[in-house]
Amino acid sequence: MIKINQLQYRYSGSRSPALNDVTLAVKRGSLFGLLGPNGAGKTTLMSIISGQRQCPRASVFIDGSDIAASGNSWKACMSLVPQEYAFYERLSIAENLAFFAAALGLPRSQRRSAIAGAAQMTGLSDRMDNRAAQLSGGLKRRLNLAIGLLNRPSLLLLDEPTVGIDPHSRRFILDTIRELNRQGTTVVYTSHYMEEVETLCEEIAIIDHGRVLCQGSMESLLASDDSNILSLELDGELSQAQFTELKLAGPFDPACRHIQIDVSHFGSLEKALSVLGALQLDIKRMHYGAQNLEELFMNLTHHSLRD
Amino acid sequence: MNRFLSYTYKELLLLTRDMHGLLLLFVMPTIFILLMTFALQNQYSASSDMQLGYFLLNLDGEADSQRFEQDLLSTNNLNRLEHGTDLDHLRQRTARDESSFLLIIHPDFSANINDGKKAVSLELAPGTAPVVTQLVSAQLQQFINRIFLEKLLIKELDMTAEQAASIEAGDFLEISSLFGEARQQPSSVQQNVPAWLLFAMFFIAIPLSTTLIHERQQGTAARLNTMNFPKSLMLASKVTPYFLINLLQVGCMLLIGVYLVPWLGGDKLELIGSTAGLLTISAAAAFAAVAYGLLIAQVARTVDQATIFSGVCNIIMAAVGGVMVPRFIMPPTMQELSAYSPMAWGLDGFFDILLRNGGVIEVLPEAFKLMVFAGVLLLITLFLSARKQA
Repeated sequence: MIKINQLQYRYSGSRSPALNDVTLAVKRGSLFGLLGPNGAGKTTLMSIISGQRQCPRASVFIDGSDIAASGNSWKACMSLVPQEYAFYERLSIAENLAFFAAALGLPRSQRRSAIAGAAQMTGLSDRMDNRAAQLSGGLKRRLNLAIGLLNRPSLLLLDEPTVGIDPHSRRFILDTIRELNRQGTTVVYTSHYMEEVETLCEEIAIIDHGRVLCQGSMESLLASDDSNILSLELDGELSQAQFTELKLAGPFDPACRHIQIDVSHFGSLEKALSVLGALQLDIKRMHYGAQNLEELFMNLTHHSLRD
Repeated sequence: MNRFLSYTYKELLLLTRDMHGLLLLFVMPTIFILLMTFALQNQYSASSDMQLGYFLLNLDGEADSQRFEQDLLSTNNLNRLEHGTDLDHLRQRTARDESSFLLIIHPDFSANINDGKKAVSLELAPGTAPVVTQLVSAQLQQFINRIFLEKLLIKELDMTAEQAASIEAGDFLEISSLFGEARQQPSSVQQNVPAWLLFAMFFIAIPLSTTLIHERQQGTAARLNTMNFPKSLMLASKVTPYFLINLLQVGCMLLIGVYLVPWLGGDKLELIGSTAGLLTISAAAAFAAVAYGLLIAQVARTVDQATIFSGVCNIIMAAVGGVMVPRFIMPPTMQELSAYSPMAWGLDGFFDILLRNGGVIEVLPEAFKLMVFAGVLLLITLFLSARKQA
């Protein structure tokens, strides 16, 4: 559905590129997660895919069409739900939906059903007369999503759609996205919440500093992790001598229960394990390689996703 | 067409729910019109009931000086507050603005007039306007001249004092105004309604730029862009409702002048001049105001910036353009400067209709200037917008 080839993008006046040699592929009907910290380039990538920013020719293809060369026709089947509350606070839900349905150019005969469908899908049907300004954060997110559903898109771009909302609203939005995907909509979902991407997306790309670090299914990404990190959960305190012997990075903290050992410092996993055995640490849990997206991200970038 | 109408309708809905915007566009000019019309009513009135209070110190006390005192008392606009004897005390009180001026009749009043010496001193309070000084001094001079003339007649033509006093100068001057069919002096409402109306029209820049900046900041503009909503249509849909609101302001403020001001005891706004001319200058001023709002929205990054910038610019344009201070009392340099204010062009256009009984032809020069101003601002806005996107 989406194919991106070696995409470069630089904001005018900026020294470093916002996107650097980005190559990605999103399959039709998939639920694709784009994971990265704030400022990684997710929103820039979404704004290029949605046509807000111009990209070089032959770098972004949607359904085989080069979006830089094929006018605006491809936008008809696509919808972007931006990170901001991109609607009018002084209008009601119904007025917002009616305006955006008209702005989309939907024929009058189709508007009523499109509005009803979007409102029903997002659970807003019984609040249509409420002013947007008076809605809770969760309901505002739903309205933001509902507007994105008015043209019944086959490609839905969701830019951080759950930022700043309560767990109940988040669950509702995630369920709605799953349902949309089940109905055949291709979804590209950006987030810096790893748990969301882990539970929601079949295919994931990790992006940092404008570069795609890896792409694949959750299982394949974790399996491909060759970062040589041995993670331990301790049951007791760590001494200064043990800290030094294990060649751990960072400041010494005896109360620290989670440590990560870089196996490459010991030459092999076998040697690292023998050092551990000799130190007689009280180990509660131990694993080699990344077990989840957060660890994978840390292994790839050497910093936390929440940094 | 549906997209255009939907966007226009949305803009109107947003504005009707913007209490601050409505206050700014409709309530503020109404208050200004009422306040300034009543405050300046006497300044423009032909039968002015303005009274200037004065203190008098007569150091002469002879017949001619008493006659001079009587002449002053018979003048409607001059109100003698006190006939004192202590010069220092009267001076101190005048310096505290307790009267507009202190009049001192010198000893040997008659002899001084005969000898061409100073016979009367006029000491002005700090708060007395120069224009008032000129009027009062002319009036005093007239009374003294009369006494001088009578003395001359007695001396040169051997007339008796009664004969000389009985000679009355004719009323040689006929005064009329070229305003309206009744040829009466235009009232302050005739001057104030166009001035404050124009001031309010340019304040459209604040709600207009606010909605544009909100659309940009909240991502609605970007969202509309992804919906294939053409930028040209967005611009047209944005300009149209605000243009219509400007015309609505014109209608409302004229109605206030025609109905509300007289109901509150003021003069009625006379709607003279051609309707087509009024529409022409109103439309040109509305285009200028909307283009000005679009440029501010393009230049400002935040709503606060736009509000401060347009507010300050409006006040400067109004001050220079003759809205706050009439242009005819400005010195020549300021009048030359005001020729560059769009508000001065608009005001001249409205005066062409509402004061000078003009038509479309008369307002065309001002309308043209306003349209060129709007066109230039629009081009700058489009240029800046294109540069920002590049």
